[in-house]
Amino acid sequence: MSAPVNYGSNLSMPVAILKGRTGYLVVLFSLFLLFMILVSLSMGYVQIPISDILSILTEKFFGDSQTAKAANEIFFTIIFDVRLPRILTCTLVGAALSISGALFQGILLNPLADPYTLGLSAGAAFGASIAILLNLGAAFVSVPAFAFTGACLTLFLVIFLSYSSKNPLIGFSSNNLILSGIIVGAILSAGISFLKFIANEQVSVIIFWLMGSFASKTWPDVLIVASFLLAGILISLFFARDLNLISLGAKSATSLGVNLKKVTLILLVTGSMLAAICVSVSGIIGFVGLLVPHMVRLITGPDNRKLIPLSMLTGAFLLLFADTVTRAVLPHEIPIGVLTALTGGPVFCWIFKKSRFK
Amino acid sequence: MKITLHNISFAYDHEAIIKDLSCSFVPGNFYSIIGPNGSGKTTLLDLISGFLAPCKGHVDIDQRRIPAWSKTEIARKIALVSQDYAINFPFFVKEVVMMGRHPYIPRFSPPSKKDIKKANKIMMQCGIQHLQNRKINELSGGEKQRCVFARALCQDTPILLLDEAFSSMDIHHTLQMLHLIKQAVKNKNKLVINVFHDLNLASSWSDVLLILKQGRIKAFGRSGDVLTQPIIKEVFNVDSIIEYNEHVQAKQVYYPPV
Repeated sequence: MSAPVNYGSNLSMPVAILKGRTGYLVVLFSLFLLFMILVSLSMGYVQIPISDILSILTEKFFGDSQTAKAANEIFFTIIFDVRLPRILTCTLVGAALSISGALFQGILLNPLADPYTLGLSAGAAFGASIAILLNLGAAFVSVPAFAFTGACLTLFLVIFLSYSSKNPLIGFSSNNLILSGIIVGAILSAGISFLKFIANEQVSVIIFWLMGSFASKTWPDVLIVASFLLAGILISLFFARDLNLISLGAKSATSLGVNLKKVTLILLVTGSMLAAICVSVSGIIGFVGLLVPHMVRLITGPDNRKLIPLSMLTGAFLLLFADTVTRAVLPHEIPIGVLTALTGGPVFCWIFKKSRFK
Repeated sequence: MKITLHNISFAYDHEAIIKDLSCSFVPGNFYSIIGPNGSGKTTLLDLISGFLAPCKGHVDIDQRRIPAWSKTEIARKIALVSQDYAINFPFFVKEVVMMGRHPYIPRFSPPSKKDIKKANKIMMQCGIQHLQNRKINELSGGEKQRCVFARALCQDTPILLLDEAFSSMDIHHTLQMLHLIKQAVKNKNKLVINVFHDLNLASSWSDVLLILKQGRIKAFGRSGDVLTQPIIKEVFNVDSIIEYNEHVQAKQVYYPPV
């Protein structure tokens, strides 16, 4: 006796979500992001006027690529071979880390969770360290591939440790996941220390990788992060409402028709894959996944259907801002992971103090 | 909408919590499950709601076993007010109540006018409409519990399971909520199964009492029949005086000081 449900309205999915205030905010934040990308393109060792960028971009995409290149070959090369891949990778990583953070905070019912709570960063770092130590770094893909594999293995281990088939209250409970993550993370950190210890002269390569960087990113990096991000967005928006219900507690969510085990597992894997691809491509960039959903929650409230798209745009904007500062403003490039922690940390303290004890 | 339990047993590990238990619950009745701590009351509700699956036996809703129903179908038949009413994120009260409409709203649609009307009406009935723009985590325990109760009512199901749903409410609101569900049982032929610790309220408000001890049914019937001094002594290990009370028109339990 199931009531007739109008599944046709699913087709208008993004429209329905984006109606009203959230829709305006998404448009507004997207414009900010586009503006930031243009500004970032123009800044650097060679200053390129925004008007030149616009004309080169329009010529490239709406006109003839050769004409665009011929008009100003230096600017064209700087934009398309150097700056744009880095800027887009950075933007996509910021978006992916923020979605991942929002997902983890929702699944773990803990606003202090972030993409690395389950020890994924340690797993990725361990994988990368092995690749560097074995001197596989020369082969272009191997460090990211090892890092990604390390993060995936960590995720499987954490899921295995925190799973119980018998008791749905205990299996995948946030406490279990967090504890398993901390245990696995601690073991892997010790493993990384050991690898550094035996690495001799390569220790600096490991340390530098761990601090994260967007320097010399290429178009393949952009494509691979973009494809993960696209899948991540679709999955997390599809389950955003279930994620809201999960915050009511396991029993209440189940009684409202949420398949708790399935949704938790899917979102856990989604969040982890997003984090894993980010770490593999750009090293460990902290605080974005923790901080951004917090900031956005002050604007949207905890509803994940609004939180996830806006976190994505905000994270992309902020990480690009940080990367532009370190690339084009500071006299020397600081590793982006260090910069986000140094600036994000104090901001987080302020938000924490403000929202907890008002 | 009838619920039947066929010889169900359940254990988390070795020790059985529910032992070979069979009974049926029929619509138009207000059932209360009473029993000491750890007697399996909450586990029994979890088995009925499908949150837990029995190790042996099966639970049927309308002669059809629970695993055969989809999650959404069950969500349109059974609503649950769980003991644990903590909500970790600062949702507005009206958002929490609207979550009760989840089984009826297609995934990407906003709530319909009918859903909004329903939620407003129920917030009015539960006396929380003045709280609707407050954040749920800023409310007192009793207020939170009323919001969770309203969410379950909003689910508009023929079966309502209450697990100590009144534990933090004051007596005024407890009676108000009891009155609401009693009316729904009488007028809309709903089925309510309620876990209670207050024997006197259980006796005066329920149609049928189910007394549980160590995972087995000790007594199942009208409170006038099952509420007796020897049963209370056996189940709860307390001395009591039980007599019919004219004012509430039901048996009441008194505990003489030792």
